[in-house]
Amino acid sequence: MTRTFKHVVLALIVVIWVLPFVALVTTSLRSEVASKTSGFWTAFTPTELGHRFGTHDRGEIEPFVTMSGNIFERLNKDSDSFEVEGDVNSILFTGRVPDPENPEKTKLIRQLIYPGEPMDVRGGDFVFESNGDFTWTFAEATAPKPKNIDAFIEQNPVFGTDAYVEVLFENKNVPNALIASFIVTIPATIIPITIAAFAAYAFAWMRFPGRDWLFVLVVSLMVVPTQLAFLPVLQGFSGIASWATSLNAWMTDCEATKTCQVASKSFASLWVTHTAFGLPLAIYLLRNYIVGLPKELLESARIDGASHLQIFTKLIIPLSVPALASFSIFQFLWVWNDLIVALYIGPADSADLVFPIRLQKQLGTFKDQLHLLNASAVISIIVPVIVFLSMQRYFIRGLLAGSVKGG
Amino acid sequence: MAQVALKGVNKSFGNVHVIRDVDLQIDDGEFAVFVGPSGCGKSTLLRLIAGLETISSGEISIADRAVMDLPPSKRGIAMVFQSYALYPHMTVFHNMAFSLDLQGFSKAEIHERVEAAAKILQMEHLLDRKPAALSGGQRQRVAIGRAIVRNPDVFLFDEPLSNLDAALRHDTRVEIAKLHNQLGATTIYVTHDQVEAMTLADKIVVLKDGEVMQVGAPMELFNFPANEFVAGFLGSPKMNFFDGVLTGGANTDQGGFHGEGLTADGVRLVGKTKAIGDSVRLGIRPQHLTMDPSGQLKGRATLVENLGTETVIDLTSDNGTSFRFASPESLDVKTGQEVSFSFDPATAHIF
Repeated sequence: MTRTFKHVVLALIVVIWVLPFVALVTTSLRSEVASKTSGFWTAFTPTELGHRFGTHDRGEIEPFVTMSGNIFERLNKDSDSFEVEGDVNSILFTGRVPDPENPEKTKLIRQLIYPGEPMDVRGGDFVFESNGDFTWTFAEATAPKPKNIDAFIEQNPVFGTDAYVEVLFENKNVPNALIASFIVTIPATIIPITIAAFAAYAFAWMRFPGRDWLFVLVVSLMVVPTQLAFLPVLQGFSGIASWATSLNAWMTDCEATKTCQVASKSFASLWVTHTAFGLPLAIYLLRNYIVGLPKELLESARIDGASHLQIFTKLIIPLSVPALASFSIFQFLWVWNDLIVALYIGPADSADLVFPIRLQKQLGTFKDQLHLLNASAVISIIVPVIVFLSMQRYFIRGLLAGSVKGG
Repeated sequence: MAQVALKGVNKSFGNVHVIRDVDLQIDDGEFAVFVGPSGCGKSTLLRLIAGLETISSGEISIADRAVMDLPPSKRGIAMVFQSYALYPHMTVFHNMAFSLDLQGFSKAEIHERVEAAAKILQMEHLLDRKPAALSGGQRQRVAIGRAIVRNPDVFLFDEPLSNLDAALRHDTRVEIAKLHNQLGATTIYVTHDQVEAMTLADKIVVLKDGEVMQVGAPMELFNFPANEFVAGFLGSPKMNFFDGVLTGGANTDQGGFHGEGLTADGVRLVGKTKAIGDSVRLGIRPQHLTMDPSGQLKGRATLVENLGTETVIDLTSDNGTSFRFASPESLDVKTGQEVSFSFDPATAHIF
């Protein structure tokens, strides 16, 4: 009973978490029409959708008595993806027929015609089958103009990668955003983790006055909200930038080419900001891990003659891989998905916008092109997923096995 | 000459005074064992010698060289930890080569020394494994090997056997004794197990609350304990004690005792400051009692343990004192039965 309940709750949680992702991926793989006209959950089952096809191409005017063709061939002739397949349910006939009440006149009707039933198209008998084959028969050889006909088709699920091709290759925004995001994220992960590992070792294993107070101070910095610090941080960067601009003007002949200006918002300012705001948590996590390593190991290394630096590089780093990996994932995700810091502190040049800003801009430009928006979103999700999966093998349990008793 | 000398060594952690005025001389090639109950400061004393803790006052010299200001690696010591402390991400070879590597030995020399040490410990076949793939005994051996390759003046062992099971503990103990004979290096060994102390030591140092209680050869401590603590700590089962008064022999080393229905004369008297009539305790080892229907010590058996090699009987005397009797023979004594014992005053002690 409780077991079933637990399973149900668990299943529910999984569904709630996975559903948005499924929606994103599904929509990104559908055609523009499909994603506009129906919800993603209809994408997996045959769905009735309206399509318009032309009976033949304009200019194809060989007179004929009977023309035969296929609705699907006509529909798919110009597209090499999202090909329409399925069953033709009906055709919406719009045209004039003799009015039974007024024998002299005709009247306009809109009526659904089903497979096998003839209908009058440009004076010929138009009959179609549900597999799409149609025949158009006239009393004598005729060369009619093409007629556009609306068909309701029970359409098989169809997916394609057109949206990805479009966002990745048809303009440079998404590739640029990917590159910019990597430029920001990789140093903004490596720099804090390097600094934090050294600091964590010192906080855990080196004796110096005020160590514990200093650690408390560092940890308490975690409560400083990033948003609160934007103004002073930005002021700092613009100060540095103007100083660098003057230095540039003084040291080089940039004034001749008007290239003296050093931007205050740059990739480097993002690295510094993310490092600063990532460090307290990193130091806290790593210190708590490193302090838990067996004391005897370090003492043994001391007796073996290792200096602090050697203990750090030869023992602490290899043994802290799981903690380092988990923090890298944290920091990578946080920086990769960060919008607000990048918006305020990152480079403003359109080619240098990071992915979250690009996505936010696409909300405006792609408005109702949901498939493109979703394709970009999926691309931005896939990177952290790859990072996570590749880091996962470093979450090794029992890394300390064999070192100390019971370890 | 790698003797270890401690002079007036004190160590405090904050307000806790854990080592009090320890003076100690361990000669070159000697196997010294620090023994005492847990919390007596024996491990701390070892860590002070190793340099893992700094002393509060006093002097430590190794091979006639004051080492108080030297880091552990410069003191000419090697230490084997209770928990092995192997580097889990390195193979056995690299565990053993670690210190040599740091000292900048050539690859060839490292190989030579590691292989020599592995040969001594008969573990050449383990060199490529990682610690996780070793059994407890093998890990302990690697830890010892790691100490051997450094070719130290002094080996320090911190309860090296306490994580091994009984059978392995015995084998490893024998191996350590052999190793000591083979290498002849000064060794300091910390244990709380008096059997290890008795079997391994050239010199036992009994510690209690950070103070040295007695220093001496194992049988000297066993036969002539300097105080009640040493008498009670060494020997299994524990020595029996009876309360009473001193009846003779004040200021000599032979005393008389009366108390709890026991009277004895010519008993070894420990401490010369006692006067006649002072309350003292009589100590008799369980092995030194003999069953004798006319004996003066009577007791009712409360527990009979037949260990095969030995029979141990717990008894309670008429005035409620518990004592033990141990005999190498298998005895037919039932719980509740009254037994009488006599003893030879020459084997007893007055404290």
